[in-house]
Amino acid sequence: MTISWIQAAILGIFACLSSLPGMAGTSIGNYTLGRPLVGGLVCGIVLGDIKLGIMCGVAMQLVYIALVTPGGTVSADVRAISYIGIPLAMVAIQSQGLSATSTAAASLAKSMGTLVGTIGTVLFYGTATLNLVWQHMGWRDVEKGNFKKLYGVNWGWPWVSHLLFSFIPTLIMCKLGATAVTTLKTALPMDGIPMKTLFTVGAMLPCVGIAILLKQIVESAMDFVPFFVGFTLAASLSLNLVSCAVISLIFALLFYNLEMAKNARAAAPAGGSSIDDDDDEEDI
Amino acid sequence: MAEKKISKKTLMKSFHHWYYGNLTCFSQEHMQTFGYLTSMLPIVEELYDKKEDQEEAMQTYTAFFNTEPQIGSVAVGITASLEEARANGANGIDSETINGLRAGLMGPLAGIGDSMIVGTLIPIILGISLGLSTGGSPIGAIFYIIVWNLLAYFGMKFAYFKGYEMGDKAVEFLVGAQGKAIRKAVGIVGGMVVGSVAATWVSVTTSFELKNSAGKAYLVLQDKLDAVYPGLLTAGFIIFCWWLMAKKNISPVKVMLLLVVIAFAGVVLGIFNPGLKY
Repeated sequence: MTISWIQAAILGIFACLSSLPGMAGTSIGNYTLGRPLVGGLVCGIVLGDIKLGIMCGVAMQLVYIALVTPGGTVSADVRAISYIGIPLAMVAIQSQGLSATSTAAASLAKSMGTLVGTIGTVLFYGTATLNLVWQHMGWRDVEKGNFKKLYGVNWGWPWVSHLLFSFIPTLIMCKLGATAVTTLKTALPMDGIPMKTLFTVGAMLPCVGIAILLKQIVESAMDFVPFFVGFTLAASLSLNLVSCAVISLIFALLFYNLEMAKNARAAAPAGGSSIDDDDDEEDI
Repeated sequence: MAEKKISKKTLMKSFHHWYYGNLTCFSQEHMQTFGYLTSMLPIVEELYDKKEDQEEAMQTYTAFFNTEPQIGSVAVGITASLEEARANGANGIDSETINGLRAGLMGPLAGIGDSMIVGTLIPIILGISLGLSTGGSPIGAIFYIIVWNLLAYFGMKFAYFKGYEMGDKAVEFLVGAQGKAIRKAVGIVGGMVVGSVAATWVSVTTSFELKNSAGKAYLVLQDKLDAVYPGLLTAGFIIFCWWLMAKKNISPVKVMLLLVVIAFAGVVLGIFNPGLKY
């Protein structure tokens, strides 16, 4: 499998649309086109092997199933994962002669996606930094009262940032990287230690993604309980995700009512009149 | 003078500006500020005829803003209603009150959004989609595109107009006691879903075994571990990563590098072996 300049350019445009400050907006860009699963479909269509694209997308999506970016701190760049990582992984899997549905293919995709995604954070900071220039222009427009120009600042000029930090890197990496990964096969045999390490890391990496999410939802040790109940339902009882979600609803309902009851109790002495308090004392 | 009212058309325009452009001109210095400015502009233009009044109103929204953009729609809706009240000369509503309120909303909204939307809703939809796409079918990806975008668009629209309708009452609801109870309940769903996502999709296994002289394995470590608790090794690795990041403040990138080291050592020692051949 090779990637032509035109194919690489199409992937470059998707990279512009999909990144965290992406030109397709947050919901359509970052959270739709940027998700590796969707990226896998797009790359599969562009490179002409939808099945392989989807398989790579599924594998990488696992690593980033919950890519939280609290306060704009980014640990991986979605445009790099989805539109540089997936195409290169597809080429690598084909050149290694792996079956698209094999575990080996998935592990290779995970390792490659994570590597590219992590390095890709450079692109994120590049885009955000260049946007400072447009924002600076925007502040002058605000001062002068040229408010209409703010639309250009917010929707137009960032395209220049993306041309430099999304389009060109994707174009070059996809075009040149494809040749590089094809030569990997001879350089690194499958049963050698480097490839074994790469595949082992591929299986471990989703743990980091899950842990980032846990960091967001776990405040005290008690918050691990729901996590382990969910884990047990799936691992030991083999329930699927939707079934687990349904079961979790009953607990959510309980906790909601419990919390509301606590609130009502806490509010009662403060809001209640002093006469009620006297009554209580007389009863005793 | 007749009471000023923002037309439905202008509200929709403002909402769409936010829906599309909340992060398009992102920088580390002013994250969603320009998204906010472009969302408020149609409203300010409709409410104030005089240029000076427009300039004064727009000045309010030059303050830093950043939150979870999906749920953040509600904040834009709330400020639209406050701006309308200010244009009608309501007492006690000025730049300072609007900005105080915006600043107070950023944190709680980001908390709700990150755990509810990014932490729970998206992993659930993705989890279902991944199941549908197992084997290389595009159905899962298409399912995700449709379901997520419908939920995001209509959910954000609902939040925006609810915020506009309720005005500052929405703030109390979001950060008040009931809001806290809802956040707690959602957190339970989130925790359980993440747990099942981990058990379903993540699998760390060891190939370590002890063999007798005849070359027959008498101890297969993976089987022993699964007999104790299915998925024990996977759960252990997740908790280890969480501990490194949450308790030791190690960045995700460094944790990943550490995993590379662990994997390398494990492969050399024969603890891990993906067992692959051409």
